[in-house]
Amino acid sequence: MTAVWLAPLLLMPLVGAPLLLRTCFRRFPAGARLVLAGAAGAALTSFVMTLFALARWRWSLAAVAAGAMPLAWALSRLPAFAPAPPLGPASPSTPASRLAALVSSGAVAAAAFATSLAAATSPDLFNFWGTKAEQFAAARGIDVAYLQEPFHGFLHPYYPPLVTNLGALASMAAGRFSWEGAMATFPLLVAALAVALPGVLGGRRDRSGAASALAVSAIAIVGIRAFVAGNGDTPLVFFEALAMALLLRRDAGDPALQALAGLLFAGAATTKVEGLPFVLASAALFLALRARPFRSALAVTARLLGPTALALAAWFAFGVSRGLFHEYSEYGPFATLHLEHFPRVVAALAAALAGTAHGLPFLVPVICLFAAGRPPRASWLAIGTAAALVAFLLFAYLHMADDPRLWVTWSAARVLMPVPVLLALALSAGRAGGEPEPVVPSPH
Amino acid sequence: MGAAVLAALALRGVPWFAGLGPPPTPFTHGVTFLEPAYALLRDAAPRIPAGASVVVLAEPRHPGFESYFFRFGLALLPGRHVLPAAVFDAFTPPETWASAEYRVVVHGRPTPSDDELVLTTPAGTVWRRRPR
Repeated sequence: MTAVWLAPLLLMPLVGAPLLLRTCFRRFPAGARLVLAGAAGAALTSFVMTLFALARWRWSLAAVAAGAMPLAWALSRLPAFAPAPPLGPASPSTPASRLAALVSSGAVAAAAFATSLAAATSPDLFNFWGTKAEQFAAARGIDVAYLQEPFHGFLHPYYPPLVTNLGALASMAAGRFSWEGAMATFPLLVAALAVALPGVLGGRRDRSGAASALAVSAIAIVGIRAFVAGNGDTPLVFFEALAMALLLRRDAGDPALQALAGLLFAGAATTKVEGLPFVLASAALFLALRARPFRSALAVTARLLGPTALALAAWFAFGVSRGLFHEYSEYGPFATLHLEHFPRVVAALAAALAGTAHGLPFLVPVICLFAAGRPPRASWLAIGTAAALVAFLLFAYLHMADDPRLWVTWSAARVLMPVPVLLALALSAGRAGGEPEPVVPSPH
Repeated sequence: MGAAVLAALALRGVPWFAGLGPPPTPFTHGVTFLEPAYALLRDAAPRIPAGASVVVLAEPRHPGFESYFFRFGLALLPGRHVLPAAVFDAFTPPETWASAEYRVVVHGRPTPSDDELVLTTPAGTVWRRRPR
């Protein structure tokens, strides 16, 4: 049952294959391309399902596939993905990179065993993520009547649709929702990152391998301690880590990489509300650091933010047209801050992070960054985005009129899970004036 | 080095002491206060027909637990009409759920009642309302 439920999700690389088979992506190892194709395929499939819901078309496996695969093929014909000459050989593996792979394997094993031994299950899977996916599968669409029923407000109708869309798709294939399958997405996505990140980051294998191992280990430990198996936090960090890894590359000026990162941004923004501030912060910092001329900045902006704008436009068009929602809402009117809670929020935040192995998943990447010396310019993309996420979370917590400490306690560690991941990825960025790195020529 | 420390800590967070067999519920070694509700609702699901109305209560009554139980009822009893005894940590008026055909009582014990006892497990009881 679990395997049947997971099968459509494991087949997502087929949807994204037309994109990742383009010659411009041959710079990535096969494993990284497979995972990137899966991520792009998932974002496109969810987008098509949202469009179907908007158009009042019933979901079916065949119809969704018939929509998503041609869309991926059409996208692959865009000029950004134009054929490119092959690049030079990748940096060879080293004992250090092999050791890093071994460490990543240990982290993946921890996530897998913790999930199978019922030590990482997310209550929110049963509180709303799984419930919605199960109901949407039965309704063959986003069930507006169900979301509008009295007392169903806790299902968060405005939450972005990717996790519930894909969960519904898997349930339609399997005939029912699989709670075990949903939980298994945690170790599977950690494993996918362990496979993909070293190749996506590129550069020297020992450095990219070490950064990847640190990121993957941080996800595993925070994910276990904060009980994320089955909720939206792992898919979110999956999209975010891959997109950030693309943009940290030396050849991130390549339009193909930016367009692919844009697709992954759309995946992040349609996975959880926090995905949007991540996308906006990353794109703004990338523009500030990497795209100086004005005309270039416009094109880069379109590539990075276009897919997110389209995906969220479809989602909000659905919400507004059904009278379901017209904004992201939380615990108070937007920008009405209760600054008197600031000391309490900071204290609760520190306590929550300390609850994840004494805060080590958050402290170790910071220590590594300090130990590495003055951060190279490129790494500020990841460091700045991590800082923006912390600021956003504080901003969100300060909206609560009542004492927000309980909210901070049960949410902070998992919501901040991308922060140590971003800091770890920052370590992969090449050092200015430091040791030489293999220069990867831009194919365009 | 940092990655190895974190990976070791992650492995240390796995409940190896419990053995590698399947745990009784997905919450057995995690958010344990939810375990009885999960186990009872899972076992109750085959006894409660599609379309029936259900309420999930705690014994003793507790608005925080019952808010969770309402959500878990919706998740684990698809196709039934689950009525809330509490939402957002506050009790709902009894008339919201008093007409429920089935009562799932987490931690409930078999007691003399006008209603029919459908299921008893270590996690609680399930009752069917007799026509009155």
